[in-house]
Formats: sequence, C-alpha cells, structure tokens
Amino acid sequence: MGIGDAIRRALSSWTKKEGPHGDIVLGTRVRLARNSKDVPFPGASSKEQLQSVLDQARSFPDVLKDEGSFVFYDMAEMDALDRDMLVEKHLISPNHARHTFHRGVILRSDEDISIMVNEEDHLRIQVLFPGLQLQQAWKHASRVDDCLESKFGYAFDKERGYLTACPTNVGTGMRASVMLHLPALARVNRLREVLGTVSQFGLVVRGLYGEGSESYGNIYQLSNQVTLGHREEEMIEHLERVTKQIIQSERQAREYLSQPERRLAVEDTVYRAFGILSFARILSTEEAMQLLSDVRLGMDLGFIHHLDKEILKELMVMIRAAHLQKIMGQNLPPEERDKLRASLVREKLNPQALKKS
Amino acid sequence: MLCEQCGKKQASVHVTKIQNGQKIERHLCKECAHQGGEFSTGIDFQNMLSSFFEYPQTWGQKARPKQGCPVCGSTLTDIQNRSQLGCSQCYTTFDSEVNTLLRRIHGTTEHVGKIPESSHGRIRLERQVQDLREQLQQAIAEEQYEKAAELRDQIRSLEGQLDGKEG
Repeated sequence: MGIGDAIRRALSSWTKKEGPHGDIVLGTRVRLARNSKDVPFPGASSKEQLQSVLDQARSFPDVLKDEGSFVFYDMAEMDALDRDMLVEKHLISPNHARHTFHRGVILRSDEDISIMVNEEDHLRIQVLFPGLQLQQAWKHASRVDDCLESKFGYAFDKERGYLTACPTNVGTGMRASVMLHLPALARVNRLREVLGTVSQFGLVVRGLYGEGSESYGNIYQLSNQVTLGHREEEMIEHLERVTKQIIQSERQAREYLSQPERRLAVEDTVYRAFGILSFARILSTEEAMQLLSDVRLGMDLGFIHHLDKEILKELMVMIRAAHLQKIMGQNLPPEERDKLRASLVREKLNPQALKKS
Repeated sequence: MLCEQCGKKQASVHVTKIQNGQKIERHLCKECAHQGGEFSTGIDFQNMLSSFFEYPQTWGQKARPKQGCPVCGSTLTDIQNRSQLGCSQCYTTFDSEVNTLLRRIHGTTEHVGKIPESSHGRIRLERQVQDLREQLQQAIAEEQYEKAAELRDQIRSLEGQLDGKEG
C-alpha cells in the first residue's frame, strides 16, 4: 500500500466525487448557526452549562438516524493531529480544533455533514457537497435542523429569527458558500475585476480556509454577506446566479486561452507544472497548490488525460501539514513535511518516476 | 546589503514569499518594512464589530444601561469586549442597541426566513395569515371578489386555529 492510499480512505466524499460544474466549482457548503434558548451562548457559559449542551449532543446521532449514520466525538478526547485533519478537510473551524474543552463534533460517516458543538454558537450544522449543489445542501441542512429542533429548544425570536452569539449571523443563521477554482481568470488577469464586481452584490470573497486565509492555487470561496432580511431560498438563488455568471466567465477565459495563438504558452505552463510536480524533491504547500492548479487547468483544457480530475481536491487536502504527519504517525518539522509532500505528489502524479528514483 | 526600497539603510528584514509559483525575496530596512510589506491596517473583523458596540453619540440623552443582562450577567462593556452577545435574553435586554447594530450590519432588523416548526407553530400561522391578508387586499384591489371571499374564509379558519393556541 502506497503512502497515498493510507489516507485516501480517510478523505471526505466531497473531495473524492465530482459534482455539477465540477470543472470550476470544487464544493458547496451550507452552514446553519443554532443556539439553545435555555443556556447562555458558549462564550458566556459556565463549564457546567457547556457540559450540559455537550451531553445533550451525545444523543444527536440517535435523533438523526433517519438522515444517515452519525458519530459523536468529544474534542478533548481527540488526538491533536486528528483535530487538525478535520480542519484541513473543512469539517471544523481552526478555532474549534484549538479550544477543545467541552466541545464536540458530530460527523456523518461520509463526512458530508458535520455539526460542531459549543463553537461560537451551541450548534453549527454544516453540509458539504461536491460541485455546485446549493439547493440540495440547503435542503439537507434544513432537514438536519428540523430533527435537532425537536430535541433542542432553539433560541428564536419572531422579529429577529435565530439568535446567535455574533450579531452578524442572526436571522437565518445561514452562511452558504461555494469553493471556486478560477485559474483561467487569474491567468488573463481578470480575477480582481470579477471578484470586485461580485462583492458589490452582497457577497464576500475569501481564500481557501475562510476568514483571513490567503488564497492558494487560484481557489476562492464566495458566500452571502448578510443573514437577516432575506429568505434562505432567496439567498441561495442569488449566490447560485452569481456563481453561474462567474462559471461562464471562467469558461470564456478558458476558451480564450485555448485559441491557437495562446494555446502553446498555456500548454507550456501546464507541462512545466506537471514536470516539477513529477520530479520535485521539496515542495511547499503554496508552490504545490499553484502547480496543482496549473495541472488541473491542463486536464480541463484537454492537454492531460491520464489523471483523475479529482486529484486537485484530493491532494489539496492530503498535502496539508496534519494529513502528512498522520501518514508518518508523528510530528514533523516543516523541512520534513516539504520532502514528504513532494514524494506524495510524485507518487500520485507519476508513480513510474518514483520507482526509478 | 542595502534596503531595496530606499537604497540607503542596511536591510535587516528579509521576507521570502511564494507568489504564483514564483519565489519573491524582499530585503528591506526596518523603516521601509514598516511602511510597506509588514504594514497592518488594524482593520479586522473583531475591531470593526467591537467599534459598532461603542455607545454612539446619536443615542445622546438616553443613559447607557449599566446593568447587566438578568440571565447571563453580561454588560454592554462585556459584549463589546467579546464582540458577542451573552445569551438569547441579551437581545431583549439590550433591545435598542441590538437593533442599531443589526441595521448597521444587515440593513434591517426583520427576519423573514425559516421558522422552527414544532416550537413556533404560532408564529408560522401568524405569518401565513399576514400573507393571506396581503393577497386579500390585492384581490379586492383587482375586484376579484370570488377569490377575496375564499381568502377571507381561509383567514378566518387560520385565525380560529390561532385562538385555539392562545396562551
């Protein structure tokens, strides 16, 4: 068994499967913030109150049995590396992995659905699907929400809707987002223009790992700005419409790049990236992500056929620090990670080259 | 080595960045590093939100409430420091402050989305009645009296259910 296979099984289904518009939209997420009406928000709760919420959450897998097979985990009992892996898989927030006391997470077996317990709010329900599937993700999140509502008296106000610790989430408590791979728009220098326009329509653009994170490998997250004053379906439709515009614009940029006078230069970039990834001995995350983005563009433009298209999504999770350290079963200094990252990528892209060297 | 930016002082800050697969190295003196690459605006989410909680002058004569929330004990100062409310009761305790805040963030104070089914059936019914009333006005305006009569009956029946849920 190769090193890649060791954690391939551990990957969430959204990274393995291709969804609608999967050549551009890597994934869709819908998150709902919910709180108990009987207990102060986690930031102002006593230990006993936090524990009472956590204890209640232990019964949620049973409450949710019609929605699939769920398991409850106490964050404090989880290994630090396992917690970081959940962050890298986008299943919990970095904050949730760092402060573990009286916190929990409930995961569906395919990892399409996760529920953080006692993060900023008592419950954060999250649905993560491959490709552009906003409506479906909202419907699933809402169903899980309905199940939990019957067991957990929600803090809800007729005027203001679902009450949350931070007033930026009040109302629907919903944040819907799409993860976009936009290499062609980046190459023709139109990213700033497109993303700038989008932010004038009530949407926020962020890097790969959410708030404050940088964008690696031409991957951006787009989500709704406000949570109050619009129906969930309305917000979802708006985000979908704008996303489809961006998809169209990225497709046009890809077509532009495929024209005979430009094609060779793009092909050159793609194969150089493939060459480096196939033979490099040291790779940082940033460099790997940029090169993987180039290779994936090459697949989408039809230059490279022999690789699985989902390799970008898989590797973008697998080459992160915690996943690498999990493979080796120990903590590694950054230089060792860069070496391991390079050999993992080599094996995925070019197994023959690995054997010979 | 001299600073790349001013070319005068010794470079003491060395930054290596990988941007678009290209390694970018910057060698700057302390002063230039402060002005350029290492510059921080101090504008982040937390600071911005926290400033929203500051007591605005426009609230003028009305005294800033000193008392905390009866449920969780949070005062406005606590809330400002955390950039979070303490509990669901805080929304009522600091009603006018919260409304100002919500208008600043969302441009509105009114939720129109999902309503919990089991525990808030009453609110759901009320909203349904409200929708039907609007339709009724529309029907009357358009002189569709048959439709108006139907709507009126529906409203009455829902109002009957609401009375049943009284208390």
